[in-house]
Amino acid sequence: MNALNPVCKLIGIFVPTLILAAVHHPILNISVFVICLLLLLMSRVRVKLLLLLFLPIILASIGMFFTGYHFQVESGAPVNADNWQMTGSAVWNGLTLSSRVLVYAGLGLLFALTTNKIDLIRSLQQQLHLPSIFAYGILAAWNIFPNLMEEYRKTRLAFRARGVYTSPVSPTLLKPMLVKAVLWSNALSIAMESKGFNGSVKRTEFYVIRVGWKDLLFPVVTIGGMVVFVF
Amino acid sequence: MVEQKWKLRDVVLMAVLGTVFAAVYLGVFYLGLGLQTALTPFGFAPFGFEIIYGVWFMAATIAAYIIRKPGAALITEVLAAVIELMMGNAGGVTLLLAGFIQGLGVELGFALFRYKRFNLFSMTVAGICAAVFIFIYELFYLQYYLLSPVLLTGQLMIRFLSAFIFAGLISKLTCDGLTKTGVLKSYSIGRGRVEIEVLQD
Repeated sequence: MNALNPVCKLIGIFVPTLILAAVHHPILNISVFVICLLLLLMSRVRVKLLLLLFLPIILASIGMFFTGYHFQVESGAPVNADNWQMTGSAVWNGLTLSSRVLVYAGLGLLFALTTNKIDLIRSLQQQLHLPSIFAYGILAAWNIFPNLMEEYRKTRLAFRARGVYTSPVSPTLLKPMLVKAVLWSNALSIAMESKGFNGSVKRTEFYVIRVGWKDLLFPVVTIGGMVVFVF
Repeated sequence: MVEQKWKLRDVVLMAVLGTVFAAVYLGVFYLGLGLQTALTPFGFAPFGFEIIYGVWFMAATIAAYIIRKPGAALITEVLAAVIELMMGNAGGVTLLLAGFIQGLGVELGFALFRYKRFNLFSMTVAGICAAVFIFIYELFYLQYYLLSPVLLTGQLMIRFLSAFIFAGLISKLTCDGLTKTGVLKSYSIGRGRVEIEVLQD
Protein backbone atom coordinates (compact mmCIF):
# COMPACT_ATOMS: atom_id res chain seq x y z
CA MET A 1 0.00 0.00 0.00
CA ASN A 2 2.81 2.37 0.84
CA ALA A 3 4.30 2.29 -2.63
CA LEU A 4 1.12 3.05 -4.57
CA ASN A 5 0.72 6.31 -6.40
CA PRO A 6 -1.14 8.65 -4.01
CA VAL A 7 -3.69 9.90 -6.52
CA CYS A 8 -4.52 6.39 -7.75
CA LYS A 9 -4.90 5.30 -4.14
CA LEU A 10 -7.11 8.32 -3.45
CA ILE A 11 -9.42 7.43 -6.31
CA GLY A 12 -9.33 3.72 -5.47
CA ILE A 13 -10.53 4.51 -1.96
CA PHE A 14 -12.79 7.46 -2.67
CA VAL A 15 -15.07 5.85 -5.26
CA PRO A 16 -15.76 2.70 -3.16
CA THR A 17 -16.63 5.01 -0.27
CA LEU A 18 -19.25 6.68 -2.43
CA ILE A 19 -20.61 3.32 -3.53
CA LEU A 20 -20.86 2.23 0.10
CA ALA A 21 -22.81 5.40 0.84
CA ALA A 22 -25.48 4.34 -1.63
CA VAL A 23 -26.23 0.90 -0.16
CA HIS A 24 -27.46 -0.46 3.17
CA HIS A 25 -25.30 -3.42 3.76
CA PRO A 26 -23.88 -3.92 7.24
CA ILE A 27 -22.14 -7.15 6.22
CA LEU A 28 -20.44 -5.52 3.24
CA ASN A 29 -19.46 -2.61 5.48
CA ILE A 30 -17.92 -4.87 8.07
CA SER A 31 -16.10 -7.02 5.54
CA VAL A 32 -14.59 -3.96 3.86
CA PHE A 33 -13.58 -2.73 7.30
CA VAL A 34 -11.83 -6.04 7.99
CA ILE A 35 -10.03 -5.88 4.64
CA CYS A 36 -8.87 -2.36 5.52
CA LEU A 37 -7.54 -3.60 8.85
CA LEU A 38 -5.68 -6.44 7.16
CA LEU A 39 -4.18 -4.11 4.56
CA LEU A 40 -3.15 -1.71 7.33
CA LEU A 41 -1.41 -4.52 9.21
CA MET A 42 0.27 -5.70 6.02
CA SER A 43 1.54 -2.16 5.43
CA ARG A 44 3.45 -2.37 8.71
CA VAL A 45 1.43 0.22 10.58
CA ARG A 46 2.14 -0.01 14.30
CA VAL A 47 -0.56 -1.95 16.11
CA LYS A 48 -0.48 0.38 19.10
CA LEU A 49 -1.12 3.42 16.92
CA LEU A 50 -3.98 1.61 15.23
CA LEU A 51 -5.62 0.75 18.53
CA LEU A 52 -5.26 4.33 19.70
CA LEU A 53 -6.83 5.69 16.52
CA PHE A 54 -9.66 3.20 16.44
CA LEU A 55 -10.69 3.75 20.05
CA PRO A 56 -12.66 6.98 19.40
CA ILE A 57 -14.10 5.49 16.22
CA ILE A 58 -15.42 2.46 18.04
CA LEU A 59 -16.99 4.80 20.59
CA ALA A 60 -18.60 6.82 17.79
CA SER A 61 -19.79 3.65 16.17
CA ILE A 62 -21.42 2.45 19.39
CA GLY A 63 -23.04 5.89 19.71
CA MET A 64 -24.49 5.56 16.22
CA PHE A 65 -25.74 2.06 16.99
CA PHE A 66 -27.85 3.30 19.88
CA THR A 67 -29.09 6.28 17.87
CA GLY A 68 -30.15 4.03 15.03
CA TYR A 69 -31.65 1.62 17.51
CA HIS A 70 -33.71 4.18 19.40
CA PHE A 71 -34.64 6.54 16.59
CA GLN A 72 -35.86 4.50 13.71
CA VAL A 73 -37.49 6.30 10.86
CA GLU A 74 -40.72 4.34 11.32
CA SER A 75 -41.24 5.45 14.90
CA GLY A 76 -42.87 8.85 15.06
CA ALA A 77 -41.99 9.81 18.60
CA PRO A 78 -38.32 10.02 19.60
CA VAL A 79 -38.45 7.28 22.21
CA ASN A 80 -41.16 4.77 21.66
CA ALA A 81 -41.97 1.80 23.88
CA ASP A 82 -41.90 -0.54 20.86
CA ASN A 83 -38.26 0.27 20.33
CA TRP A 84 -37.24 -1.35 23.55
CA GLN A 85 -38.17 -4.78 22.28
CA MET A 86 -35.38 -6.49 20.44
CA THR A 87 -37.00 -6.22 17.06
CA GLY A 88 -34.77 -7.34 14.24
CA SER A 89 -35.30 -4.16 12.31
CA ALA A 90 -34.20 -1.84 15.15
CA VAL A 91 -31.00 -3.81 15.62
CA TRP A 92 -30.48 -3.90 11.87
CA ASN A 93 -31.01 -0.15 11.66
CA GLY A 94 -28.47 0.39 14.40
CA LEU A 95 -26.02 -2.00 12.77
CA THR A 96 -26.34 -0.30 9.39
CA LEU A 97 -25.56 3.09 10.82
CA SER A 98 -22.77 1.96 13.13
CA SER A 99 -20.98 -0.30 10.63
CA ARG A 100 -20.92 2.69 8.31
CA VAL A 101 -18.89 4.72 10.82
CA LEU A 102 -16.44 1.83 11.04
CA VAL A 103 -16.00 1.32 7.34
CA TYR A 104 -15.51 5.00 6.54
CA ALA A 105 -12.93 5.30 9.27
CA GLY A 106 -11.21 2.13 8.08
CA LEU A 107 -10.96 3.40 4.52
CA GLY A 108 -9.93 6.85 5.71
CA LEU A 109 -7.15 5.56 7.92
CA LEU A 110 -6.01 3.12 5.26
CA PHE A 111 -5.31 6.12 3.07
CA ALA A 112 -3.98 8.43 5.76
CA LEU A 113 -1.57 6.01 7.38
CA THR A 114 -0.02 4.61 4.23
CA THR A 115 0.47 7.82 2.26
CA ASN A 116 3.43 10.15 2.31
CA LYS A 117 1.98 13.63 2.74
CA ILE A 118 4.45 15.47 0.56
CA ASP A 119 4.12 12.87 -2.18
CA LEU A 120 0.36 13.29 -2.06
CA ILE A 121 0.64 17.00 -2.85
CA ARG A 122 3.24 16.37 -5.55
CA SER A 123 1.04 13.70 -7.03
CA LEU A 124 -2.00 15.99 -6.98
CA GLN A 125 0.07 18.58 -8.78
CA GLN A 126 1.57 16.23 -11.35
CA GLN A 127 -1.25 13.79 -12.01
CA LEU A 128 -4.32 15.93 -11.39
CA HIS A 129 -2.77 19.22 -12.51
CA LEU A 130 -3.40 21.12 -9.32
CA PRO A 131 -2.05 24.62 -10.07
CA SER A 132 1.45 24.92 -8.65
CA ILE A 133 0.52 28.05 -6.72
CA PHE A 134 -1.86 25.92 -4.64
CA ALA A 135 0.47 22.95 -4.38
CA TYR A 136 3.29 25.08 -3.02
CA GLY A 137 0.89 27.12 -0.90
CA ILE A 138 -0.23 23.92 0.82
CA LEU A 139 3.34 22.70 1.22
CA ALA A 140 4.35 26.04 2.76
CA ALA A 141 1.44 25.96 5.18
CA TRP A 142 2.03 22.31 6.00
CA ASN A 143 5.64 22.99 6.88
CA ILE A 144 4.82 25.73 9.37
CA PHE A 145 2.45 23.41 11.18
CA PRO A 146 4.99 22.47 13.90
CA ASN A 147 5.60 26.18 14.56
CA LEU A 148 1.89 26.66 14.82
CA MET A 149 1.59 24.05 17.54
CA GLU A 150 4.50 25.64 19.39
CA GLU A 151 2.82 29.03 19.06
CA TYR A 152 -0.41 27.57 20.38
CA ARG A 153 1.40 26.35 23.48
CA LYS A 154 3.04 29.75 23.95
CA THR A 155 -0.25 31.60 23.54
CA ARG A 156 -1.90 29.52 26.20
CA LEU A 157 1.04 30.10 28.52
CA ALA A 158 0.90 33.83 27.80
CA PHE A 159 -2.73 33.90 28.84
CA ARG A 160 -1.98 31.92 31.94
CA ALA A 161 0.81 34.33 32.85
CA ARG A 162 -1.82 37.05 32.85
CA GLY A 163 -4.06 34.98 35.06
CA VAL A 164 -6.49 34.00 32.32
CA TYR A 165 -7.30 30.32 32.18
CA THR A 166 -8.17 29.11 28.71
CA SER A 167 -9.56 25.70 27.89
CA PRO A 168 -7.69 23.83 25.11
CA VAL A 169 -10.26 24.82 22.48
CA SER A 170 -11.21 28.25 23.79
CA PRO A 171 -12.23 30.90 21.22
CA THR A 172 -10.08 33.40 23.14
CA LEU A 173 -7.02 31.65 21.73
CA LEU A 174 -8.20 32.10 18.18
CA LYS A 175 -7.41 35.77 17.72
CA PRO A 176 -3.75 35.66 18.79
CA MET A 177 -3.29 32.52 16.71
CA LEU A 178 -4.83 34.16 13.66
CA VAL A 179 -2.60 37.22 14.10
CA LYS A 180 0.42 34.91 13.92
CA ALA A 181 -1.09 33.04 11.00
CA VAL A 182 -1.62 36.21 8.98
CA LEU A 183 1.83 37.58 9.76
CA TRP A 184 3.48 34.30 8.85
CA SER A 185 1.56 33.83 5.66
CA ASN A 186 2.54 37.34 4.60
CA ALA A 187 6.20 36.67 5.37
CA LEU A 188 6.03 33.28 3.68
CA SER A 189 4.57 34.57 0.46
CA ILE A 190 7.10 37.41 0.32
CA ALA A 191 9.89 34.91 0.95
CA MET A 192 8.60 32.58 -1.76
CA GLU A 193 8.32 35.36 -4.28
CA SER A 194 11.73 36.74 -3.42
CA LYS A 195 13.20 33.30 -4.10
CA GLY A 196 11.73 33.43 -7.55
CA PHE A 197 8.51 31.49 -7.12
CA ASN A 198 6.07 32.25 -9.86
CA GLY A 199 2.88 30.29 -10.12
CA SER A 200 2.09 31.22 -13.69
CA VAL A 201 5.08 29.71 -15.49
CA LYS A 202 5.56 26.06 -16.25
CA ARG A 203 8.10 24.43 -14.01
CA THR A 204 10.13 21.29 -14.12
CA GLU A 205 9.88 18.73 -11.34
CA PHE A 206 12.79 17.42 -9.34
CA TYR A 207 10.69 14.71 -7.73
CA VAL A 208 8.69 12.97 -10.39
CA ILE A 209 5.76 10.88 -9.17
CA ARG A 210 5.16 8.06 -11.62
CA VAL A 211 2.10 6.01 -12.42
CA GLY A 212 2.82 2.34 -13.09
CA TRP A 213 0.51 -0.52 -14.02
CA LYS A 214 0.14 -1.51 -10.37
CA ASP A 215 -1.07 1.98 -9.54
CA LEU A 216 -3.71 1.80 -12.24
CA LEU A 217 -4.70 -1.71 -11.19
CA PHE A 218 -5.56 -0.67 -7.61
CA PRO A 219 -8.58 1.55 -8.36
CA VAL A 220 -9.77 -0.90 -11.02
CA VAL A 221 -9.70 -3.76 -8.50
CA THR A 222 -11.33 -1.85 -5.65
CA ILE A 223 -14.04 -0.20 -7.72
CA GLY A 224 -14.62 -3.35 -9.76
CA GLY A 225 -14.84 -5.51 -6.64
CA MET A 226 -17.34 -3.14 -5.10
CA VAL A 227 -19.50 -3.00 -8.23
CA VAL A 228 -19.51 -6.81 -8.56
CA PHE A 229 -20.49 -7.22 -4.92
CA VAL A 230 -23.27 -4.67 -4.98
CA PHE A 231 -24.96 -5.45 -8.29
CA MET B 1 -6.86 31.28 -15.32
CA VAL B 2 -6.93 30.55 -11.64
CA GLU B 3 -3.27 31.41 -11.35
CA GLN B 4 -3.82 34.89 -12.71
CA LYS B 5 -6.62 35.64 -10.33
CA TRP B 6 -5.15 34.42 -7.09
CA LYS B 7 -2.09 36.14 -5.74
CA LEU B 8 0.40 33.98 -3.93
CA ARG B 9 -0.26 36.04 -0.81
CA ASP B 10 -3.93 35.11 -0.82
CA VAL B 11 -3.23 31.46 -1.51
CA VAL B 12 -0.67 31.16 1.29
CA LEU B 13 -3.03 32.94 3.68
CA MET B 14 -5.82 30.56 2.75
CA ALA B 15 -3.52 27.58 3.19
CA VAL B 16 -2.27 28.83 6.56
CA LEU B 17 -5.83 29.51 7.71
CA GLY B 18 -6.63 26.01 6.52
CA THR B 19 -3.79 24.66 8.64
CA VAL B 20 -4.87 26.59 11.74
CA PHE B 21 -8.42 25.37 11.35
CA ALA B 22 -7.39 21.82 10.54
CA ALA B 23 -5.77 21.83 13.97
CA VAL B 24 -8.83 23.48 15.52
CA TYR B 25 -11.10 20.89 13.89
CA LEU B 26 -9.01 18.08 15.29
CA GLY B 27 -9.26 19.54 18.81
CA VAL B 28 -12.96 20.17 18.45
CA PHE B 29 -13.44 16.69 17.02
CA TYR B 30 -12.27 15.20 20.30
CA LEU B 31 -14.45 17.64 22.23
CA GLY B 32 -17.41 16.51 20.14
CA LEU B 33 -16.50 12.89 20.70
CA GLY B 34 -16.50 13.52 24.43
CA LEU B 35 -19.94 15.13 24.25
CA GLN B 36 -21.14 12.33 22.03
CA THR B 37 -19.94 9.63 24.39
CA ALA B 38 -21.70 11.36 27.26
CA LEU B 39 -24.95 11.40 25.28
CA THR B 40 -24.63 7.88 23.86
CA PRO B 41 -26.69 5.93 26.42
CA PHE B 42 -29.67 8.15 25.66
CA GLY B 43 -29.40 7.68 21.92
CA PHE B 44 -28.68 11.36 21.53
CA ALA B 45 -25.15 10.73 20.29
CA PRO B 46 -25.40 12.85 17.10
CA PHE B 47 -26.25 15.92 19.16
CA GLY B 48 -22.74 15.94 20.62
CA PHE B 49 -21.47 17.14 17.27
CA GLU B 50 -24.45 19.31 16.42
CA ILE B 51 -23.72 21.67 19.30
CA ILE B 52 -20.30 22.52 17.91
CA TYR B 53 -21.00 21.97 14.22
CA GLY B 54 -20.64 25.65 13.41
CA VAL B 55 -16.93 25.45 14.15
CA TRP B 56 -16.49 23.55 10.89
CA PHE B 57 -17.67 26.55 8.88
CA MET B 58 -15.37 29.03 10.58
CA ALA B 59 -12.39 28.64 8.26
CA ALA B 60 -14.59 29.51 5.32
CA THR B 61 -16.40 32.49 6.85
CA ILE B 62 -13.22 33.95 8.30
CA ALA B 63 -11.31 33.55 5.03
CA ALA B 64 -14.14 35.12 3.05
CA TYR B 65 -14.35 37.96 5.55
CA ILE B 66 -10.63 38.71 5.31
CA ILE B 67 -9.98 38.13 1.61
CA ARG B 68 -13.39 39.14 0.26
CA LYS B 69 -13.04 37.47 -3.10
CA PRO B 70 -15.45 35.00 -4.66
CA GLY B 71 -14.07 31.52 -4.08
CA ALA B 72 -12.02 32.30 -0.99
CA ALA B 73 -14.41 30.46 1.31
CA LEU B 74 -14.62 27.39 -0.87
CA ILE B 75 -10.88 27.13 -1.46
CA THR B 76 -10.01 27.64 2.21
CA GLU B 77 -12.45 24.98 3.33
CA VAL B 78 -11.07 22.52 0.76
CA LEU B 79 -7.48 23.36 1.71
CA ALA B 80 -8.36 22.80 5.37
CA ALA B 81 -9.74 19.41 4.35
CA VAL B 82 -6.54 18.59 2.43
CA ILE B 83 -4.45 19.51 5.48
CA GLU B 84 -6.76 17.45 7.70
CA LEU B 85 -6.22 14.56 5.34
CA MET B 86 -2.46 15.07 5.59
CA MET B 87 -2.68 15.14 9.38
CA GLY B 88 -4.12 11.65 9.23
CA ASN B 89 -7.68 12.38 10.24
CA ALA B 90 -9.84 9.28 10.43
CA GLY B 91 -12.47 11.00 8.30
CA GLY B 92 -9.94 10.59 5.53
CA VAL B 93 -10.82 10.88 1.92
CA THR B 94 -14.44 11.83 2.39
CA LEU B 95 -13.34 14.95 4.27
CA LEU B 96 -12.45 16.44 0.90
CA LEU B 97 -16.02 16.03 -0.25
CA ALA B 98 -17.45 17.35 3.03
CA GLY B 99 -15.07 20.32 2.92
CA PHE B 100 -16.08 21.05 -0.65
CA ILE B 101 -19.79 20.96 0.19
CA GLN B 102 -19.43 23.15 3.27
CA GLY B 103 -17.28 25.62 1.36
CA LEU B 104 -19.90 25.69 -1.37
CA GLY B 105 -22.59 26.47 1.19
CA VAL B 106 -20.64 29.36 2.68
CA GLU B 107 -19.83 30.61 -0.79
CA LEU B 108 -23.53 30.61 -1.67
CA GLY B 109 -24.26 32.60 1.49
CA PHE B 110 -21.91 35.37 0.50
CA ALA B 111 -22.94 35.20 -3.16
CA LEU B 112 -26.51 35.99 -2.09
CA PHE B 113 -25.14 39.39 -1.08
CA ARG B 114 -23.08 39.58 -4.28
CA TYR B 115 -19.91 39.62 -2.21
CA LYS B 116 -20.69 43.18 -1.17
CA ARG B 117 -21.84 42.72 2.37
CA PHE B 118 -19.54 41.19 4.89
CA ASN B 119 -21.13 41.56 8.29
CA LEU B 120 -22.65 39.48 11.03
CA PHE B 121 -25.82 38.94 9.04
CA SER B 122 -24.17 37.73 5.85
CA MET B 123 -21.78 35.53 7.84
CA THR B 124 -24.69 33.95 9.66
CA VAL B 125 -26.55 33.38 6.41
CA ALA B 126 -23.40 31.81 4.98
CA GLY B 127 -23.08 29.56 8.00
CA ILE B 128 -26.70 28.48 7.77
CA CYS B 129 -26.35 27.76 4.05
CA ALA B 130 -23.35 25.58 4.85
CA ALA B 131 -25.36 23.85 7.56
CA VAL B 132 -28.17 23.07 5.12
CA PHE B 133 -25.74 21.85 2.44
CA ILE B 134 -23.83 19.55 4.72
CA PHE B 135 -27.03 18.29 6.29
CA ILE B 136 -28.43 17.22 2.93
CA TYR B 137 -25.14 15.52 2.18
CA GLU B 138 -25.14 13.70 5.51
CA LEU B 139 -28.73 12.68 5.08
CA PHE B 140 -27.62 10.47 2.22
CA TYR B 141 -24.00 9.83 2.94
CA LEU B 142 -24.42 8.82 6.58
CA GLN B 143 -27.90 7.55 5.75
CA TYR B 144 -29.51 9.72 8.39
CA TYR B 145 -32.78 9.22 6.55
CA LEU B 146 -32.97 5.99 8.51
CA LEU B 147 -33.54 8.09 11.62
CA SER B 148 -36.80 9.63 12.71
CA PRO B 149 -37.74 13.05 11.26
CA VAL B 150 -38.26 14.47 14.74
CA LEU B 151 -34.67 13.74 15.68
CA LEU B 152 -33.42 15.13 12.37
CA THR B 153 -35.35 18.39 12.75
CA GLY B 154 -33.95 18.80 16.24
CA GLN B 155 -30.47 18.19 14.90
CA LEU B 156 -30.90 20.75 12.16
CA MET B 157 -32.20 23.41 14.56
CA ILE B 158 -29.25 22.96 16.89
CA ARG B 159 -26.93 23.05 13.90
CA PHE B 160 -28.40 26.38 12.78
CA LEU B 161 -27.87 27.82 16.23
CA SER B 162 -24.33 26.52 16.26
CA ALA B 163 -23.69 28.03 12.80
CA PHE B 164 -24.89 31.39 14.09
CA ILE B 165 -22.71 31.26 17.20
CA PHE B 166 -19.49 29.99 15.65
CA ALA B 167 -19.53 30.90 11.98
CA GLY B 168 -21.36 34.17 12.64
CA LEU B 169 -20.74 35.66 16.04
CA ILE B 170 -17.36 34.29 17.07
CA SER B 171 -15.88 34.59 13.57
CA LYS B 172 -17.03 38.20 13.29
CA LEU B 173 -15.67 39.17 16.70
CA THR B 174 -12.37 37.43 16.00
CA CYS B 175 -11.98 39.14 12.63
CA ASP B 176 -12.83 42.54 14.11
CA GLY B 177 -10.22 42.00 16.77
CA LEU B 178 -7.79 40.95 14.08
CA THR B 179 -8.45 44.08 12.05
CA LYS B 180 -7.79 46.25 15.06
CA THR B 181 -4.32 44.80 15.46
CA GLY B 182 -3.44 46.10 12.02
CA VAL B 183 -2.03 42.85 10.62
CA LEU B 184 -4.64 42.84 7.89
CA LYS B 185 -3.87 46.25 6.47
CA SER B 186 -2.76 44.81 3.15
CA TYR B 187 -6.03 42.86 2.72
CA SER B 188 -9.40 44.23 1.65
CA ILE B 189 -10.85 44.06 5.14
CA GLY B 190 -8.20 46.37 6.59
CA ARG B 191 -8.09 48.76 3.68
CA GLY B 192 -11.07 50.80 4.76
CA ARG B 193 -9.56 51.58 8.09
CA VAL B 194 -7.41 54.65 8.44
CA GLU B 195 -6.57 54.71 12.09
CA ILE B 196 -4.70 51.76 13.48
CA GLU B 197 -4.69 51.32 17.17
CA VAL B 198 -1.41 50.85 18.95
CA LEU B 199 -0.92 47.30 20.12
CA GLN B 200 -0.75 47.00 23.83
CA ASP B 201 1.22 43.88 24.31
